[in-house]
Amino acid sequence: MATFDFNQAAHLLRRMGFAGPPEEIDALVTRGREGAVDHLLNYNQIDNKPLDDLLAASFDFTDPRDNEKFNQAEIRRWWLTRMVHSRRQFEEKMTLFWHNHFATSLSKVEERLMYVQNLTLRAHALDKFDTLLLNVSRDPAMLIWLDGITNVLGSPNENWARELQELFTMGINDVVTGQPNYTENDVKEIARAFTGGRFRQVRGSEDRFNLEFLIVPGQHDNAAKTIYGQTALFSWEDVITLVSAKRATARFLVKEIFEFFVYPLTSSSADKATINKFADVYESRDHSIKDLMRAIFVSDEFFSSRAVFGLIKQPAELVVGAIRMLGGQYAPGTFERRGSSNVLYQSARVMGQDMFNPPDVNGWDLNLAWINTATMLDRFNFSNNLLNNRRTDLPGMFVTNEQLGKYTKGTAKKTVKKFLSVLGPLGVTGNAVATLKDYLLKDNQGNKIEFAVTDQLIDSKIRGLAHQIMCLPEFQLN
Amino acid sequence: MPTTRRQFIKRGAGMVSLSLVMPKIWLSSARAQTLANRKILVVIQLSGGNDGLNTFVPYTDSNYFSLRPDLSFRDTELKDDQGRTTLLDDRFGLHPSMGEIKALYDAGNVAIVNGVGYPSPNLSHFLSKDIWSTANLNGGAGNGWLGKYADQSLFGKSDLSAVNIGGALPKAFFADKVVVPSISSFANYTFQTDPRNQGDRINQLNAFNATNHRTFPEGSFLSTLASTGVDALAGAQEVTAAVARYTSTVTYPAGTPPRGNQLATALKMAAQLITTIPDADLLYVEFGGFDTHSLQIGSTQDPDNKLIGDHAVLLNDFSEAVKAFYDDMAAHGLAENVVIMEWSEFGRRPQQNASFGLDHGTSSQMFIIGNPVHGGVYGQQPSLSPTGLDGAGNMVFNVDFRAVYATILDKWLGADSQAVLGSRFEDVGFFG
Repeated sequence: MATFDFNQAAHLLRRMGFAGPPEEIDALVTRGREGAVDHLLNYNQIDNKPLDDLLAASFDFTDPRDNEKFNQAEIRRWWLTRMVHSRRQFEEKMTLFWHNHFATSLSKVEERLMYVQNLTLRAHALDKFDTLLLNVSRDPAMLIWLDGITNVLGSPNENWARELQELFTMGINDVVTGQPNYTENDVKEIARAFTGGRFRQVRGSEDRFNLEFLIVPGQHDNAAKTIYGQTALFSWEDVITLVSAKRATARFLVKEIFEFFVYPLTSSSADKATINKFADVYESRDHSIKDLMRAIFVSDEFFSSRAVFGLIKQPAELVVGAIRMLGGQYAPGTFERRGSSNVLYQSARVMGQDMFNPPDVNGWDLNLAWINTATMLDRFNFSNNLLNNRRTDLPGMFVTNEQLGKYTKGTAKKTVKKFLSVLGPLGVTGNAVATLKDYLLKDNQGNKIEFAVTDQLIDSKIRGLAHQIMCLPEFQLN
Repeated sequence: MPTTRRQFIKRGAGMVSLSLVMPKIWLSSARAQTLANRKILVVIQLSGGNDGLNTFVPYTDSNYFSLRPDLSFRDTELKDDQGRTTLLDDRFGLHPSMGEIKALYDAGNVAIVNGVGYPSPNLSHFLSKDIWSTANLNGGAGNGWLGKYADQSLFGKSDLSAVNIGGALPKAFFADKVVVPSISSFANYTFQTDPRNQGDRINQLNAFNATNHRTFPEGSFLSTLASTGVDALAGAQEVTAAVARYTSTVTYPAGTPPRGNQLATALKMAAQLITTIPDADLLYVEFGGFDTHSLQIGSTQDPDNKLIGDHAVLLNDFSEAVKAFYDDMAAHGLAENVVIMEWSEFGRRPQQNASFGLDHGTSSQMFIIGNPVHGGVYGQQPSLSPTGLDGAGNMVFNVDFRAVYATILDKWLGADSQAVLGSRFEDVGFFG
């Protein structure tokens, strides 16, 4: 049995979810490596009633025309609330992965359809890939985003057909062999197979979120198509099956998953072997996303030193994770009493990750793409906002003195080490521990003080310490 | 549409520290340096697709009136709120909300380039924005045109030599080497500490600098994160110190609640940077809301009132904000140093739709404003006749937008437009 300690469990929870407090990590440790992965993976078995109750009390998405209760801000707040409060952490993380993979944006698509797409992505997040892809191909937001609704017999629009291959399944070139995966003619022919797709509100339903897909017969191209060298009467579903079965698709998906959940890949032969190893899992497990994810999360690659803190925190990971690790509060409020609860999505937005609004169909670039002088300031200032908001009576985010007191130990050094553990656990180099300890022991005149745990100390220096740790370069890693 | 979005940072982030930490000398000698021969460019992006035909109105064209029975302006209607005409000549007039721009035009400081566009126009907002932002007609991939210019001419200058006023970095600034900061508010562009514990701030800054000045393996994420953090703090301190020195005799328009004049707010921030930071010479502002598919004119209650409605408010905000900014620059002795370039991803369909609005179009005009500009009308009015419009009923361009960029790059910024744009384009002539 592979070892599984606190650091590894924390790593697993940071990647499969949005991190968590020490007690959640301890609970994972007792399950062992595979047990912990299975627990997070089989999230449908986790009771999520607290979240369901909170969502019911906080959001009213019954009528998308009611702009006060349903709008772009509300769906963002809804999702960030889920990320913080869901016990099914992997559901949220996997939905974020698919949102980034099938990147669709409010810049072109109305919020009602973006919300419906989010529900579709989460419903099929761990399904057979073919099933997920079929649902995405019929998704109203996607039909608008990549112009499926204007793709009709005799006047095809190639937007979806191109991105389906280039960004959603296999890539222009095979990520292992470098060989081209398809031709321009394949794009044209595949576009024909997806002609005539539409959506409408389900007949007889009052629910404007209840949409159904249909193919308009006169606008669908039924004739034979030549795709990847084969000529047949390929249907919409046939093409989904065809692209999902490509070896290049298996490899491309593994690469995308690795770069999001594990570490950035290189073109080395070792990394190509890794891609092939997990592409084999995709194929042998009948394209099951769930089985592929399980194989990756229990692997030694996932727990390697290259993987641990080998990524830069995405903004959503940073803002949600900070609250969760510290045991902070996030009260979403209601549409009538919102307080400062929009702060979470707004913070992620200024850091470069505006939920439901990725920059383009390619989604967000990861790691150093998040980092510039302006976004670094935004990261530091988010931390300050979290630590120094004491309006516990209003919706928004905060950490109580009581909570901070739990991690405050008898000496300055032990306190620094405890907070580094809670906010990571972060291994820091050089003089960082000494610097932070000295910070704790300095009064406002710069004089050294005795360390004595009081409410006043917690409300000033301990808040300052947590803010300082969140400004460490190590804290920006995931 | 494959993009190499933000790849520039991947390659450029390690270089941030080289270009940073602005010279302290500015704090004392900013005033002296503002009198130097600066070439400042302020780009205003009207996002959503501004309706060119009702901005720069061809009021003698009968086709204009037949295509837009409800949404057109007669010559008698082209008067600002003071009753002054906004007619520019015997063919064209400005929208009645643009009285301030009319005055600047009369003073010879506004060049209007008509019929601007590009071949095979794309009617998608985001694709057309990408095409304009990158000057790459083939799908709009790659770095931005201003990013390429910045790599060519601004690398090694201070971190604030190019600034986006706003949230997300516009694609026009995507670059390989230069990292352009986005500043959405000066209040937030500072390293914030606990307001209840201000006496501890110095301890916090000291601790931050100590932990972030540690050395990390070259090329590692940690190395870039630490150096960017240090640079961020230094840059923020400089901005705070600089903009605190800004004073102005000009009052920027507040606009109409609840939206307010957001362009004025942004241009005032640009002015604060330009007047206090001696090489803050490339500023970018996005002003949205121009996607007037419906209710372009009038309101639900007053559908026929052409002086109200979304488009009128937006153009009024534009006109008043630009005037205030122009006056501010003049008050700071910079009137000869500033050029404003306005663009939008496309114009709107000449024919009105059933919702008193206009769908996505193609060709439109660009405004180039400032004392260095030779005022007047450039380019041709695209034909509005049934045979002159394209298959979708849109106008056919006659000036490539890249020629406008090239004119600004070559004649104003003294750059090499061919290196930035990949081809050579004819001088449009608005710098003489």
